[in-house]
Amino acid sequence: MSENLRKLSGRKGLDNNLFEQLVNSSKAEGTPTDEKLKDLAWEYLMGNANTYGAGSFYDFLKKENKGKKAYVCNGSACLVADTQEKVTETLAKNFSKDEIGEMCCMGRCHENSAFNVRGRNYSGMAINNLKKILSSEVSGLEKYNVAANVSNPVLTGTPLNAESFKALFVKADAMGVKNILNEIDNANVRGRGGAGFSMGFKWESCRITESDQKFIVCNADEGDPGAYSDRYLLEVQPYSVLFGIMMAGLVVGADRGVVYLRAEYSEAINITQLAIDELTRIGMNGTNIGGTGFDFTFKIIEGAGAYVCGEETALLSSIEGQRPEVRVRPPYPTQEGLFGKPTIVNNVETLATVPWILENGGEAYANFGTQKSTGTKLVCLDSFFNKPGMYEIEMGTPLSTIVEEFGGGFKSEVKALHIGGPLGGIIPTHKISDLELDFESFQKQGFLLGHASVVSIPKEFSMVKYIEHLFEFTAVESCGKCFPCSIGSVRGKEMFANAQQGEPINQELLDDLLETMEIGSLCALGGGLPLGVKNALQYFKEEIIK
Amino acid sequence: MNNEQSKIAYINNEPFKVQGDETILHFLKRYMGDNPVPTLCDAPNLKPFGSCRVCSVEVALEQDGLTKVQASCHTPVMADSFIYTHTHKIEKLRKNIVELVLTDYPADKFETDNPNTNELKKVALDLNITPDDVRYAPGANHLNRSVDEDHSYMRSDLAACINCYRCIRACDEVQGEMVLTMAGRGFENTVIMGMNEGFKNSDCVSCGACSQACPTGAITDVFNSKTNEVVETTRTICTYCGVGCNLDVAVKDNEVISITAPYDAEVNQGHTCLKGRYAFKFYNHPERLRSPLIKRNGKFKEVSWEEVYDFIVDKLTTIKSENGPDAIAGISSARCTNEENYLMQKFIRAVVGTNNIDGCARVCHSPTALGMQRAFGTGAATNSIIDLNYTNCMLVIGANPTAAHPVTGAKLKQAAMKGTTLIVVDPRETVLARYADYHLQLRPGTNVALLNMMLYYIIKENVQDDDFIDNRTEGFEDFKSQILALDMDKMAEITGVDKDLVRNAAVAYAKAKNAMSFHGLGVTEHSQGTFTVQLIADLALITGNIGRRGVGVNPLRGQNNVQGSADMGVQPHQGAGYLDITQEEVQNIYTDFYKVEMPKEVGYKIPEMFDAALEGKLKALWIIGEDVVQTDPNTTKVKKALNSLDLFIVQELFMTETAMLADVVLPGASFLEKSGTFTNGERRVQRVNATVLPIEGTKVDGQIIIDVMNRMGYAQPAYNAKEMLEEISQIVPFFKGITWERLGTNGLQWPVAEDGSDTEIIHLEEFKRGKGKFSYFDWKETEEIIENGEKYPYIITTNRELEHYNCGAMTRRTGNVDIITEDVLLINAQDAADKNIKEGEMVCVTSARGKVDIKAKISKEVKPGVMSTTFHFPEIMVNLITSDVHDSEAKCPEYKVVAVNIRKSKGKFANA
Repeated sequence: MSENLRKLSGRKGLDNNLFEQLVNSSKAEGTPTDEKLKDLAWEYLMGNANTYGAGSFYDFLKKENKGKKAYVCNGSACLVADTQEKVTETLAKNFSKDEIGEMCCMGRCHENSAFNVRGRNYSGMAINNLKKILSSEVSGLEKYNVAANVSNPVLTGTPLNAESFKALFVKADAMGVKNILNEIDNANVRGRGGAGFSMGFKWESCRITESDQKFIVCNADEGDPGAYSDRYLLEVQPYSVLFGIMMAGLVVGADRGVVYLRAEYSEAINITQLAIDELTRIGMNGTNIGGTGFDFTFKIIEGAGAYVCGEETALLSSIEGQRPEVRVRPPYPTQEGLFGKPTIVNNVETLATVPWILENGGEAYANFGTQKSTGTKLVCLDSFFNKPGMYEIEMGTPLSTIVEEFGGGFKSEVKALHIGGPLGGIIPTHKISDLELDFESFQKQGFLLGHASVVSIPKEFSMVKYIEHLFEFTAVESCGKCFPCSIGSVRGKEMFANAQQGEPINQELLDDLLETMEIGSLCALGGGLPLGVKNALQYFKEEIIK
Repeated sequence: MNNEQSKIAYINNEPFKVQGDETILHFLKRYMGDNPVPTLCDAPNLKPFGSCRVCSVEVALEQDGLTKVQASCHTPVMADSFIYTHTHKIEKLRKNIVELVLTDYPADKFETDNPNTNELKKVALDLNITPDDVRYAPGANHLNRSVDEDHSYMRSDLAACINCYRCIRACDEVQGEMVLTMAGRGFENTVIMGMNEGFKNSDCVSCGACSQACPTGAITDVFNSKTNEVVETTRTICTYCGVGCNLDVAVKDNEVISITAPYDAEVNQGHTCLKGRYAFKFYNHPERLRSPLIKRNGKFKEVSWEEVYDFIVDKLTTIKSENGPDAIAGISSARCTNEENYLMQKFIRAVVGTNNIDGCARVCHSPTALGMQRAFGTGAATNSIIDLNYTNCMLVIGANPTAAHPVTGAKLKQAAMKGTTLIVVDPRETVLARYADYHLQLRPGTNVALLNMMLYYIIKENVQDDDFIDNRTEGFEDFKSQILALDMDKMAEITGVDKDLVRNAAVAYAKAKNAMSFHGLGVTEHSQGTFTVQLIADLALITGNIGRRGVGVNPLRGQNNVQGSADMGVQPHQGAGYLDITQEEVQNIYTDFYKVEMPKEVGYKIPEMFDAALEGKLKALWIIGEDVVQTDPNTTKVKKALNSLDLFIVQELFMTETAMLADVVLPGASFLEKSGTFTNGERRVQRVNATVLPIEGTKVDGQIIIDVMNRMGYAQPAYNAKEMLEEISQIVPFFKGITWERLGTNGLQWPVAEDGSDTEIIHLEEFKRGKGKFSYFDWKETEEIIENGEKYPYIITTNRELEHYNCGAMTRRTGNVDIITEDVLLINAQDAADKNIKEGEMVCVTSARGKVDIKAKISKEVKPGVMSTTFHFPEIMVNLITSDVHDSEAKCPEYKVVAVNIRKSKGKFANA
């Protein structure tokens, strides 16, 4: 992170946003031209190296992305479902090898066979209709179950629309900032992005920081393979998310709200933009919202393919057009965030709870779940379940209930569940009965709730191969800043690749590597990966150490 | 209690006091010394970054309690925490990280790396690990990265790069150039230059900050500045601009092998520019003069020192007895030490017996000295560069510090990038102008009109500082009525700057809590130069921006010791310490001190010397280290004047254009070969230490002067910096407390009181002259435009390039000449199109004085009607066309407004 670049980018800020220009300039050919990179550097008073370096970081900006016309999902769920070879083969009949790239992940974990052509995502049986898809505007229809185990769902109920958004805004405005914050505090919402940090505390700390400008940023960079709950919210409940953003703005005194939305979710981008347009139409976006004198303007910033942007400091650097490398803390974003101004970064699911809380009260929300893990949590189940889908589950619910009742059990034999994304824990099926869906239960058993996505690892799938995949994911997605993560992930990947070639794993070295990454890494990417590997070593040791 | 006094933390169970929000590493360093824990990505002049993680420590909330591993470089110390620096767990972590690093580091290089200069090797050996101990199977690596050897100075061998980002951060945080970045992602991250095009093709300014920052020599330079085998390092002061960078000069076998910048230097904090760091090879260049020369029958002949001294003494004595002492003059050198300048003026005054002594300040900042003396009583910067840390607004007038004062320029740019308001008044779109909030791009020669506009709007908008005006100034009411009588529309037309823009800039300057002004030769080298300086002083007075941190009037002095040369009395009207030599009591002071009768009349200023020579009144001239032929305006006239002298002595390093005309050439010594002091632009007197012996055949300049003094009957002990300084401190009032010992490593800012205390900011409570004086001046079109404007409708304004220094005698004899090879003419696309001139074509530029052919460079830096060029190269001799109009008060030439006409060249270079 460069303070200079952050401030220089901040001169033009969000309205004439550097990163947006980089992304837009890549649309024609898949990568910005060198001339464009130089022009942008000149315009933003930066070095040519800065725009070049930033562009080279992202999957969909880098030079290698030039001319790509189709992408195959390489996320964990599609990997273990073993569907992608066929997808690639089918695509190869219509595209040259150079035109096919990879994407991680499209959030179609419930039916796999995911790919992207013409800027749209497809999955399930769609690959069988590729010819038709390419010749006409067939939309990427998908099917997944949605249900809740509470009678008055927080996140999956009747979606807000523009009008009910407006009515709720009027109500909230009448409550006043103090009461809104009280309700959020009473609800005791913990961040759903994975870290479980208190939303109310974050808002309050940003509120009391003095500044001429503040920002609200919604982290919609749902990159965890296996997760598609944020995508659901943005596609089905966009007004709830936007309402949460606006309330954060009202509370802390920010007038800009950014939705940083990953490029892999093009449908979500379109739907959320339509919702913003609708809000604009009814006077709920821009200046003098609802005649209250409150100014608040939404903006979607489209990502460009980089998992690490889900880490909040990297995300902020990304919006600034810098290379999204993880920053040291302090300062925290609530003190010095976007363009150096106090900023709240909240996850989609966290913000989406706000309308319900203001409608029903924070106490009602806190009545759901356990004492420390209140409310409900969206859980995504992959295609190994009989009923794949996205379920709203009250915190504290036994994991077995989710697997059996909501998921309907497994289609075929599964040996472990990888819950919480690539940095989550690997839970052998016999441990399912020991777990409840809350932060504490998972932690106590040596796992991690994270974003609560569930990827099933089938019995026949090699654990060594799966761990190689996790190391490779980290190696590919590591920002490269800290030594333990950037070098360690590559050496880990090589160790497990070599193991598949018959090279036994040196357990002492592996333990050292895992400890180095876990305690030495700068952020949760390098620091989080070892958990799942250690789980695997504990429960599937005979598969790994031979 | 959150009381700072009581904040304590424990290092390995021992309690220590914590300072503010310091990081753990900072805390450890204060109690455990420079290297309490190993680190690979931290560097003294860079912000905490947290990439290597080798500095990690364990932190517990209670003694020997549960610990958390934290990177010490960026984690603040928690009150009452227990920090463990070398536990088994931490040592293992460090070793394991370094093991990972060694999996992608060339083992053969590690073998030969010197742990004293290679930080990775040092850390690895301390942790007891080498490439042989790496347990990982060979895998992906970057050991085959190519080597970049295309640049004049910079080198990279990225196989040895460990991706610590230090070079990238140095380029950004220290220099602010942002030429370096990572490209790619994760393990594939690679340091690149510009658009991945190597140093040479990138916008690299060769400051070398990256090379100094690199821990492994992956980025280095042709001198291997960080990794070479140094036998001895001597700290001295740079010979180029007035910033006064401290340099660590590495020497082996009496030869300078490289230069780096000390981190503890208050002036430059581990930074310097390509001139200071790399442009030193001139000092032992084959073309260095190595013997005294006497011209006989039009040819120079090498002679002994004895012979040349006899020749000089004989000639000077004859001229003095036949024509009187006023037929002799001296031009001393701002490149020489204070002690040498003091000696030269002493020689001219006390030995020859005339006040005909002047220096290059005449052609650069003489209007500053005079204008600031008139307004404040002291002709020097009111504040220090460190005040940039405390200012809210920077007003830069007629200065291009990123080229001419690179380290200060970098600091200004850094502040502007981070949001400090910047106002630039300049006819050119300089680098700083691009970063400015307000760029007032005026027509050359209209500074007075523009500053009057600013002053008008400050009064009109009622944003002046009434308290300050009432208590600390005089003459405001008259001044105000004259300013308010001005017609802003007319002024806007004269300057060519929109009046609303001027108003907004003026209000921004006035309303800033603390505002600093900086100015350069774009202010002084004008017919109204002194008046412009007085108006800049008016701006500071009217807004109360004097006498505290972050404010003031801060001239950017051009040459390393131009401040010092004036301080030492190299001026025809003031002796050492700025005492007025026409005052009887002053004459008595000098007479008592020098033990000879003092001359009483004000002597010649440099341009007057040339006039006097042409008139036959001046017979002998001794110039030290100044190429007046190439750098003074109207070359033809200068040459004619020099050729009419009976005795012309030039003391030089090289056979310059001026030296060629001399009767006697004396081979002096460069800054690397002598000791003394230089005074930088913020009045800081710093020790210059000889790093090598003078090149054989040359002498230290001060010794040459002393030799002649003694031979002319004045007893002066041999040159010794420390003893000379003792003499100076007895006569220069503001040097009273200065001694060689007290100057220490970072020098002292004058005035220095008897007890040795120095002064960062002057005019704190009152001005040297009592009250600050407001002065009003009408803008007046320069004679150059009035007389020649019609026939020569374009204006050339001269400037400097970063890579070269003044006449280029030094920089043209270094690798810098491979970076910038010639003077060019910056011309706007519209003007070029009008005259059918294309990029790179030769243009014939004519003025009332003469003509030159010069290559066109089409540039947005200049507006239509205005052109710009440099005079670093004798091949072009741009000063053939410059005018000899001078500042009405201080006689500084008007280099900045030259009326010219242009056409495509028909000459022999047309197709060059």
